[in-house]
Amino acid sequence: MRFDRAFGLLLITPWLVGLLLFKLLPILASLGISFTDFYLLSPDHIRFIGLHNYARLLRDPAVGYVFFATLALALFTVPLQLVASLGLASLLSSPRLKGRTLLRTLFFLPSIIPSVAVLFMWQGFMQPTTGWLNRLILGPLGLTGFDNVYTEGIRSLLMLIGSLWSIGPGMLIMLAALHSLPREIEESARIDGAGPILRFFAITLPLISPAVFFTLVINLVGAFGGVILLDRGNFFSGSSSPLDGYISDVMFGDFELGYASSLAWMFFILVMIVVILLFRTSRRWVYFPDQEH
Amino acid sequence: MSPVRRTLPDIISKLRQRWYAPSGYLSLRVWDSFGSGLLNLMVIGLLVVYLFPILFMVITAFTPSEQLGDRYAPVYPARQLRYSYAGKDYRIYNVPFEAGVRQLALVKPGPKASEFMDPQDPEAGLIYWDGSWRTLRGVYEFSPTLDNFDLLFGATRFPRMMQNSLALVVIGEIGVLISSTIVAYGFSRFPLPGGNLLFYILIATILIPEKVTLIPTYFMVVRVLDWNGSWLPLLVPLFFGNAVYIFLLRQNFKSIPKDLDEAAMLDGAGPLRILFSVVLPQTWPVVITVALLHFYYAWNETRQAALYLGIRPDLAPVSFGVQNFQSLAPIQNVLQASALLVMIIPVIVLFISQRYFMRDMLITGMEK
Repeated sequence: MRFDRAFGLLLITPWLVGLLLFKLLPILASLGISFTDFYLLSPDHIRFIGLHNYARLLRDPAVGYVFFATLALALFTVPLQLVASLGLASLLSSPRLKGRTLLRTLFFLPSIIPSVAVLFMWQGFMQPTTGWLNRLILGPLGLTGFDNVYTEGIRSLLMLIGSLWSIGPGMLIMLAALHSLPREIEESARIDGAGPILRFFAITLPLISPAVFFTLVINLVGAFGGVILLDRGNFFSGSSSPLDGYISDVMFGDFELGYASSLAWMFFILVMIVVILLFRTSRRWVYFPDQEH
Repeated sequence: MSPVRRTLPDIISKLRQRWYAPSGYLSLRVWDSFGSGLLNLMVIGLLVVYLFPILFMVITAFTPSEQLGDRYAPVYPARQLRYSYAGKDYRIYNVPFEAGVRQLALVKPGPKASEFMDPQDPEAGLIYWDGSWRTLRGVYEFSPTLDNFDLLFGATRFPRMMQNSLALVVIGEIGVLISSTIVAYGFSRFPLPGGNLLFYILIATILIPEKVTLIPTYFMVVRVLDWNGSWLPLLVPLFFGNAVYIFLLRQNFKSIPKDLDEAAMLDGAGPLRILFSVVLPQTWPVVITVALLHFYYAWNETRQAALYLGIRPDLAPVSFGVQNFQSLAPIQNVLQASALLVMIIPVIVLFISQRYFMRDMLITGMEK
């Protein structure tokens, strides 16, 4: 056996079969379902209704609301995660810091905690009578916290906290990029009189821009409810973004599987557009060393 | 122009010269170590703020239930001191008198005034005190308890759920590591039809939202395969490889120079022999990273379990089973105890594996 095409195909066969069974067929089937009025409670009466579901989707006020809520949350959390992971990585890469490996592990720790534990912990922490937020932080300042931890506002706050507690992978990627920086460039800039802030923005940041880009992709997909590197499960039953949560509601609450499929397809197209836009613009600001001409 | 007038940059450069001059070296050193100390303090402060709810969780998990209703109780696990007299237990409070605060046992509580007894001197009889006893602070002693864990183990099948999680992790690891490694090897070393097209499809599948494939997959699993209420829908897809892991492994396999392959080939080694004797020995750190990523996924997974194991609680993994505690036992300290139990294994694994996980592996996978 040599390194030929046939043997290569044989090696990737498991993936090809999985692709067909768990991705391609379900995707096509779900596209088909999105053109029907498939209702879970009467599965034997499926009618083809054309683009009706998509027309309904455009008129559904809830879709507009969750769409903008998802975008707003993404616009807020993604830059926050980016700045937090970059800031932490720069702090934790300082050679003047003692016990760096342990500190990195500890800062990484929240990213691997199961979502159910994160939820219990933060709801308990914010509980008005027994939580520490009121007793140790807000109380002594003369403030009162939330009197109900199950409101919509707290839900968004928990999503925000969840996003700040998921920066571990981004932080590791940036740390690795900072580590691989050539020392000489920074040294020569220092000799030329560039201060630390100028050095960071003019030298360090452009050189680690691939890491920034990948962190951005990971965080963006995460903000829309997908997972790329570290999956810790969902915070609330079935939802990790408002749009994703609405699809779950239509699916498991209303059992309107046809409509849910059209929503899921719209979601899929939205994620694809965002990622393609990101890759398109990346050529302008991401420095890929091996693409130089 | 007067020579006295100086600009700020002048002053700074003068100061710099003085610092860097041999005589000023010591002050530079002092300044430097001061800065380092400040940096260390800042990072540790940041860490405490970042992990504060974890501290809350750990401490509350060992807190006795009666402490939660008591707003004057300390935040650490504690119980109020008691004094037993004539077969009865009386709580001890800090009672303010004009002469100072005394620690007395509350014998007869009343709305306006109460009667106390001095544990040091019970013969002195009852001591009368004006005021509402509810405003008094108790006397506490540090006393962590394991009652919350006892309650959890008594009310639920916690050990069983832990076993389920462990089994799901081990079987899943075997499946996903073998299949992903083999597929990644195929992608990294062999000419494939369509050139890079298949690889781009692989990357695109990472971005497909779960909801798009959910309904048809669910009907396939439940209606066609009849796998509902079993581990099969959670485990079988893993044996076909995972796109993210394949991607990470493929990037690392590619970084191994092909000269070594060719040398091994000249010695008569086949492709699989080369995978096991040449490629894997050099890339095992990334295999460990992938194994860890899958461990965290499998241990924390709740979506698939909610879909297919809702009807079989005896097969549920711990991350899913614990979700029901919120309605089962809505007591804060029991909830925190369950949070501690469900996260303790991933945390231990993280600390054991920090040598591998914290190294620069992710980026080698990310680079083109």
